Formats: sequence, C-alpha cells, structure tokens
Amino acid sequence: MLIEIDKLALSIRGVAILHDVRLSLGEGEIYGLIGPNGAGKSTTIAAALGLLAPAAGTVRVFGRDPRREARAVHAGLGILPEQGGFYDWMTCERYLTFFARLHGRSLSQSELRDRLARVGLAPRPGQPIGSYSRGMRQRLGLARALLNDPLLLILDEPTSGLDPRGRRDIHDVLLALAERGVGILFSTHLLDDVDRLCRRIGIIVEGRTVAEGDVAELLRSKSCVQRYRLRLAGEPPRAEVSHVKIVALDGGWWTLDLDPARPPQAVWHDLIAAGWQIVELRREGGGLEDLYLALTERRVA
Amino acid sequence: MNPILLIASKESGELLLSTRGLACLLAMAVVLSGFGLLLVGDTELSLLDNAQVVYDMAGIVTALGALLALVVGVDTVAGERERGSLVPLLLTPVSRDSILLGKLGGVAIAWVAMYGLAAPYLWAVGSTGQNLVDGLAAVALLGTPVVLGFGFLGIGLGACLAMARTGLLIGLIALVLAASPLLLGPSLRQSAIGRAFDAVNPFSAAVNAYDAVIIDSVPIATQMLNLGTTAVWLALALWFARTSFHRVAR
Repeated sequence: MLIEIDKLALSIRGVAILHDVRLSLGEGEIYGLIGPNGAGKSTTIAAALGLLAPAAGTVRVFGRDPRREARAVHAGLGILPEQGGFYDWMTCERYLTFFARLHGRSLSQSELRDRLARVGLAPRPGQPIGSYSRGMRQRLGLARALLNDPLLLILDEPTSGLDPRGRRDIHDVLLALAERGVGILFSTHLLDDVDRLCRRIGIIVEGRTVAEGDVAELLRSKSCVQRYRLRLAGEPPRAEVSHVKIVALDGGWWTLDLDPARPPQAVWHDLIAAGWQIVELRREGGGLEDLYLALTERRVA
Repeated sequence: MNPILLIASKESGELLLSTRGLACLLAMAVVLSGFGLLLVGDTELSLLDNAQVVYDMAGIVTALGALLALVVGVDTVAGERERGSLVPLLLTPVSRDSILLGKLGGVAIAWVAMYGLAAPYLWAVGSTGQNLVDGLAAVALLGTPVVLGFGFLGIGLGACLAMARTGLLIGLIALVLAASPLLLGPSLRQSAIGRAFDAVNPFSAAVNAYDAVIIDSVPIATQMLNLGTTAVWLALALWFARTSFHRVAR
C-alpha cells in the first residue's frame, strides 16, 4: 500500500479536527477524498504528508511514518496544494529547474520541454508565472509535482476553478499516470471528477470517515442506483438487458435505473449491442450524488 | 547546486526581481536620499560635525537595514505560507535546517543589498571627513548582527504566527523599542531604566559602538563588549527562528 491511514485523530491548537479517519491507497489507484467544506479533507492530507502530528491512530506512507522519515517519504511523492504555490516573478522554466534541483535532478532544455508538454504547457521564455491563467498554473503545479517521477501524487482540489477543457486535460493526465502505476489521492468537491476518475473513494464528514471503499460496492450497499433518461429512435427491443431496469416512459423519454455494479459506459455498449437506438441521453441524478447527499445530510441534520 | 545556496538565490531573486522586493529597495533608497539631503542640505544640520553626520547616517542605515530584514524575514515564511508556496518547498527532500539556512541566507543578501545601497549615501555625507572608513567598518561589524537578528526574528515570528500581518506588527513594535536609542535624548538614556535597557539592547550596543568609533575615534577592537551584546542577540534570534521554523505545519 502507498498510503494507509487508520483511526486517525488529530487536533489543532486544542480543537479536535479529525476523530476517526481511515483510507488506503495502492499503486495505480485513483482515490477520491470527498466531503463538505471543513470536513477535514485538507487536514487528512496534511497528516499524510507528515505536516501535522496525529493525536491517535496510524499514518503510513510507503510503509513509513511520514513525520519520522519525512525526507524519504517526500522523495517519493508529488504534491499539488489547493493554492498552487508559485513564485510569480519566475518563468516556468526557472521554476521547474529550481524544484528539480531541490530534488537533486538537473533538467536539460529538451527534458524541460517534455515535462511541460506532458501537462499541456508550452515553454514561454521570459513570461513570468504571475501572468498565467488559473488553468496554466494548475498545469504548471502538476508538472512540478511530477518532477521527481513520484510513486504517489497527492492533489488538493486539482480541478477547482478550471474550465471544462482544462478539467478534461487534467483528468487525462491523471488517468495516464494511474495507468503507469502512480497512486493518486485527491480531495475534491466535484463529484463529476470522482465519477470519471475514481474506483475507490472515502467520504469524510465532521472529521470521520463515513464511507470508504470501492465506488460500485458502496453504491450497491446503499442502494444508490444511477438513474438516466434516454430518447430513442423508435421502441426499445423486447429482449432484456442485464443491469438495467426500465422505470417509466414519459413523452418519448425512457427512464432507466442502472445497477451500480456496472459502469454506465459499459451499459450503453450493452444497450446499443442489443439494438437500442439511443438519440439522446441525460443523467437524472442518483449514483454517487445520492450516496454523498445521503451520507452528509444525515450528519448535518 | 547546494540546496541552501539554491534557496538563498531564490530568496535574493524575490528581493531583486519581484515587484514587491524592488518596491522595498526603492522605498529604502528614497528614505536614504531624504536623510542624505537633510544632512547635507539643511542649513542647521549641515553645520554638524562631519563625524556626527556619519554617525547619524550609520544609525539610520542600521535601522533601515533592520526594517528591511524584518520585512524579508516575515515574508519569507508567513508571506510564502499565505501565497501557498511554502508547502511545496517543505515537501522537497531537503531538510528543514537546510531550508531555514537558505532563508537566513536570503535575509543576509537583503542586508548586503541594503549596505550596498547605503554605501554611496554614507560616502556622500562623510567623504570630506576622516571617519567614513571607520563608519563603514562599524556598520559592517556591529550593524550586521543587529540587522540579521531582526531578520531572524521576522522568520521566527512568521513561522509561529498564523498571519504575516501579525508577525510584521509584532516585529515592528520590537524594532521601534530596540531602535529607541536613536530617538531618545542622551539624558533619558542616562536614567537607571535607560541604562538597564541600553545594557541588554543590541541596537544600543551598536549605536554606542558607532559613537565611540566614529565620533570619539576609538579603535573598533575596543568594542568587544558591544560586539558581544549584538552576537548574543543574533544567537537568540537564530535559536528562536530555528525552533519556530521546525514547528511550521503548513
């Protein structure tokens, strides 16, 4: 396991922030840490990074204590904090060179260009980072986090404030990294990000993990079906398709509940293969959003 | 490159290449120009003895240097934390002590820049007398620990307080108190409280040494007690900076 957190409790200046947080993340996994504002997501990340000392419980990164063996742990991880953390007067080339040297590496010009290209940035000689857009800064932050070719990437709200294209680009980079075996832990408010990227999640509410594990299993255990509306060219074939339940027909729109155990993309393939002529498709809620609301509303109430 | 030098060069870039740092240096140059013009242009002040003018300017340079070091010290930790750039630095595989040494180096570079900026002004007001070289040497020897101490105090305050503004405010109060010998008249300094305060105040130690070396032409080697006071101040400020910086969480 890259990260193992169990029964983590933590206080800051005498105020208990975390009471019982657990999560585990292996190689090649993308793990979404979600929860309302102030739930303790960033504090959990700070504990995983060894910046805050636990009051109780265990935190292990690469099997090590991140506070006692900080340098060894930091050598293998990349971090993108919520506030990117840039020196606005530097150019992106100088910025990356600076951090590469702190990691004991030197970057040639071609390596630098390659690193920037990997996150969709082009070199901009002489242009200070202060003039970059939010999306460019996030990409640059990601390039910095990847400078040491980390085994583990920790991202705090990596796509907040990005336009849809920027978010999609960051998603693609993260998926490619996970395919190469990099473990990725990220906190977010955006359930779309989690839906698209994560197979495993942890939901934190008021400093406690209220749900943790495989998304599909969690959805199934909480009976959170995924509901969609489809408009078809004609009637649907009579043959039944597994993992799908037709709920209603209303003005040419068919309402379907999908079994959470099967990803929606796979179900669409099944339906098309079975002869469904899908013209239009809309999500009607359910799924992760329902799960999140159910688990967080209960606490808030 | 050694990480300490790397971080120190980054800090110097922050001062010499960023708008904020350049604005700081420009403000210092404006203040020095104002004092310089007063000392050589004002009808009454221009009648002062040349040694007295160099002494006044040395005190002003030390006070401004301490102010600049304090601002740089607070900004290098608390300012970076507020801008979000401290955490990525703390999460590199570089030890806390190396990061701190780099940041201390940044404060030292700020003082070197300030000293370089002040040297022409000292020359402008003191070039006609015999005390210019003594003045420059006294500021280098006794002003340096005082100024660096305030920079280290700024780092310590920036590390242990949540906001840069609070750290700067507390640091400025400490600086005004310490630099009060420049503002207080000789009679107040001769009172029991004034003497007690002078005995432990590094700024008083530096100013008293300037007085002896520049005005009374006493050899600088005789100022070991004053030098010791400033060295103790520097050591205490360094201890405070290190202790606080090791506690920085995020």
